[in-house]
Amino acid sequence: MKRQKATGDRAERELVSSDLIERCKDGDEQAWKELVEATHRDVYTLCLRILGNPADAQEATQDVFLKVWRNLSSFRGEAMFSTWLYRVASNTAISKHRKRKRQRVNESGVDDEVLAQIPSPGSVESAAGAKVEVERLEEALALLPEGLREAVVLRDVYGLNIAEIAAEQKISETAAKVRVHRGRKKLKEIMFPEKPGTETEERT
Amino acid sequence: MRCEEVQEALPAHVKDGSDSLTVRRHLARCPDCKAELARYESLMGGLRILQTTSVPVPPGLFDRLLEIPARSSRLDSARDHVVRHRKVYVGGGIAVALAGAAGAALWRSKVRHPATA
Ligand SMILES: [Zn+2]
Repeated sequence: MKRQKATGDRAERELVSSDLIERCKDGDEQAWKELVEATHRDVYTLCLRILGNPADAQEATQDVFLKVWRNLSSFRGEAMFSTWLYRVASNTAISKHRKRKRQRVNESGVDDEVLAQIPSPGSVESAAGAKVEVERLEEALALLPEGLREAVVLRDVYGLNIAEIAAEQKISETAAKVRVHRGRKKLKEIMFPEKPGTETEERT
Repeated sequence: MRCEEVQEALPAHVKDGSDSLTVRRHLARCPDCKAELARYESLMGGLRILQTTSVPVPPGLFDRLLEIPARSSRLDSARDHVVRHRKVYVGGGIAVALAGAAGAALWRSKVRHPATA
């Protein structure tokens, strides 16, 4: 899988100029093209990480840009555009989850069957300390239960704080903290599975 | 402090540097927990790296995003049409809601893309 390097830190970069945004507000389609070109990879990536599958992520990305197009006039420019865009994107992706969750039962966590699908890495000894592969990490994220995945992605990938995550997920800060913690543990289990038969007694 | 408790504290320990002396002392003499610490460190490091990488975008998505201004104004004018003629319909609110739903359905039908699922 080929990966592109994005332009830097979320908090420190501005993907599009205010001039470009003004032109988009005026309905300039060339400006819209430039804005989409500059931002759609990051938006799709965020949606994919939160939703865990490409079909939903594509749908969410289109919803995000539709919202952007429709609400651009209300964007005043006192917030950074990329911050606003990320907020619209995580909102859209998370509410897609919530909508779908009503139809499904999926909160039990990562079971052994799911873990078994993951290609086993080398020994834990060699894997630990080595750099984790980003592709494997994306795959592992996709296997987390939705609530935990959202929390870990927002906290540890995009750097939101607990209060912001609680607001996004519409849960208490305590609950958000628990989700982040449980998500990290699950993710660690997926990335570094215990070899059968080598469990130590204190880790039962 | 038992290994279980130490390992429970490790994710936050790695992320926020919430450093407790007991944890550090335990780590200094417990290879198991030290190995666990290394796993969390590479995990958290990996997650941080994800922030600056993006995944490949499915073909066709970019073009569909470019169509949004045109499609959006078409949906808007369909909705405006219903709003303008709401008195003709029985129950304007319902008519508007239906127009919205129809618009959304139209949108979806073009959006879906089984080939990339
Ligand atoms: Zn220990």
